[in-house]
Amino acid sequence: MPSAWLSLLIRLLAAVLAGLTSGFILGAVAGVAAAAGLLLLMLLAHTAQLARLQRWLKAPDERDIPDARGVWGSVFVELHRLLRRERKVRARIEAELEVFSQAAEASPDGLVFLDIDDHIVWCNRVAEQHLGLRGERDSGLLVTNLIRLPRFAEFLANAREGESLSYRPAERKGRVFSIEAIRFGKDRKLLISSDVSHIERAETMRRDFVANVSHELRTPLTVISGFIEHMADDPAPDPAEWKQQMAMVDEQAGRMLNLVDDLLTLSRLEDETQMPREEEFDVRDLIYDVSAEGRRLSAGRHSITCEVVPAFLKGSREELRSAFANLVSNAVRYTPAGGRIVLHWAMRDGKGVFSVEDSGIGIPEEHLPRLTERFYRVDRGRSRESGGTGLGLSIVKHILLRHQAALDIGSVAATGSTFSAVFPAWRVKLPMA
Amino acid sequence: MPNSEHLSRQYDSELEDIRSRVLQMGGLVESQILAAIECLASGNVELMAQVTDTDRRVNSCEVEIDEACSHVIARRQPAARDLRLIMAVSKIVTDLERTGDEAEKIARMARQIHGRGRLQIPRSADVSQAGQLAVAMLRRVLDAMARLDATEAERIIAEDVTIDDAFRGIVRQLVTYMMEDPRTISTALDIVWIAKAIERIGDHAKNVAEQIIYIVHGTDVRHTTREGHGEPDGAE
Repeated sequence: MPSAWLSLLIRLLAAVLAGLTSGFILGAVAGVAAAAGLLLLMLLAHTAQLARLQRWLKAPDERDIPDARGVWGSVFVELHRLLRRERKVRARIEAELEVFSQAAEASPDGLVFLDIDDHIVWCNRVAEQHLGLRGERDSGLLVTNLIRLPRFAEFLANAREGESLSYRPAERKGRVFSIEAIRFGKDRKLLISSDVSHIERAETMRRDFVANVSHELRTPLTVISGFIEHMADDPAPDPAEWKQQMAMVDEQAGRMLNLVDDLLTLSRLEDETQMPREEEFDVRDLIYDVSAEGRRLSAGRHSITCEVVPAFLKGSREELRSAFANLVSNAVRYTPAGGRIVLHWAMRDGKGVFSVEDSGIGIPEEHLPRLTERFYRVDRGRSRESGGTGLGLSIVKHILLRHQAALDIGSVAATGSTFSAVFPAWRVKLPMA
Repeated sequence: MPNSEHLSRQYDSELEDIRSRVLQMGGLVESQILAAIECLASGNVELMAQVTDTDRRVNSCEVEIDEACSHVIARRQPAARDLRLIMAVSKIVTDLERTGDEAEKIARMARQIHGRGRLQIPRSADVSQAGQLAVAMLRRVLDAMARLDATEAERIIAEDVTIDDAFRGIVRQLVTYMMEDPRTISTALDIVWIAKAIERIGDHAKNVAEQIIYIVHGTDVRHTTREGHGEPDGAE
């Protein structure tokens, strides 16, 4: 028997004994009175402790557990131990819960937990951004009250597996989110939202590309088929007219061929498994080559000059030649007769820079960022009449990308443009002085 | 006001059902305005049919919700905040229904303008932008209703001025446009109607915001100048 209980028993016996003793000395009444008095005192003391316990239980505070001696002391000690164990268990559960919520928070997709009646229980931060929710403050609200897309309520009620709903918040243009609803547990639901804007964008680009290619091929084909029809109807063609028409058919066929060639070049350039053979070559030779080609194309309408410092470049000579030639032929085509075109090769901060400067028509600033997009044209009519396929700069960009080089475009409308290819230092070697 | 006052869960769910139906109706109207603005920008005929179609659904929503409101009043004799909710809802649905009508008006005008075959529509970018503003306002007001957020509602009331300003700006520019070239008058007038419809949508959104304040605080802020409307207690 624990000592606390023993001492309680001894005290009780002592009270009774004291009563008996005083009974012997002072008479029975006094004895009973003394015993009753002592027991009453003990009862009062215990009641006081009981009151403390009850008061504490009403508002349990771990730091404020009553302290006492004797039996009550051991009761309070047990209470203390119980609380401590409880706290440990709670801490462990909380830690586990925290890990779970951290995991949910780390998800790249938005997650929203719903209860049986579709009230929001919890959502992670990604979901807040995707769906315009406000975390804690929105918990307990009906999710359909906040996502009021007309089809959403029905979608949520069905919540079929593998079905998703695309959500385009009007306040964020161009963003598309895909929402999935998954049932779990007992009639609970989980909403998963993912940002599919880039997929949409890629899809749009693909559609545009196909439409553009078809359009570009269609125009020359229409011309050719027109001539063929005309010839079929004309039993005795005039040889001079025939010849002229043939020349035009040939020109259109050439355009189609160019376009297809450019498309094939682009797709070859995009194939990263086939990297070009790299060599070290003299940049000056290449630039002189390209400028000679430019002069042929210009046929004396422009003054084309070169300003180059000697240097060696590491890369695919063939590809870079095609890129440089593209830039030069662009300059020739967009510079009115009498204009000036300068080909530079210079070192800038250790980087090698090839640039083509022209005194042409220039490009308005808003077009600059989109210039390397396939089939992007600043002025539809003008560029086709000058014979471009609309793919030249895309090809240049791809070739430069394969050489870790950047394409820099600076332009002032009506004054001229400068297209620069900036090569990283490790690709450039200066000749020994 | 704690909901535990209600003894009946069913009563609670009836009230919640009404509120969520209003918000669903609001979602329909939101999509309707967006479609109407899109109509103006693109002249898409299918979208116009969709706007008219949605309007029919919005109208039947109004009737159903009104019916549900009278039902609750008759059977449950709501008091205090619940009564305010019911009263406010029956006004809000009217505003939403009229907003839907304005959207339909925009679509109709858009069809008329595109029917004339004019490719250049004067100030159409400004009008679209004002329209986006109005939709954003409606969306925020519905969010505030879902969250019973009176603070947000007050903010929205204060912002109605922006749309009014946009409307006046558009009209001013259209007037100069019409003076320069009288041939544009019929189109310009249609655009004025559209701008007016957008301005009305802003006003309806503002009315809804006032009703939200009434639900939360029980103060009637209609026709008052803007001052504190009691303690903000958005959290609910």
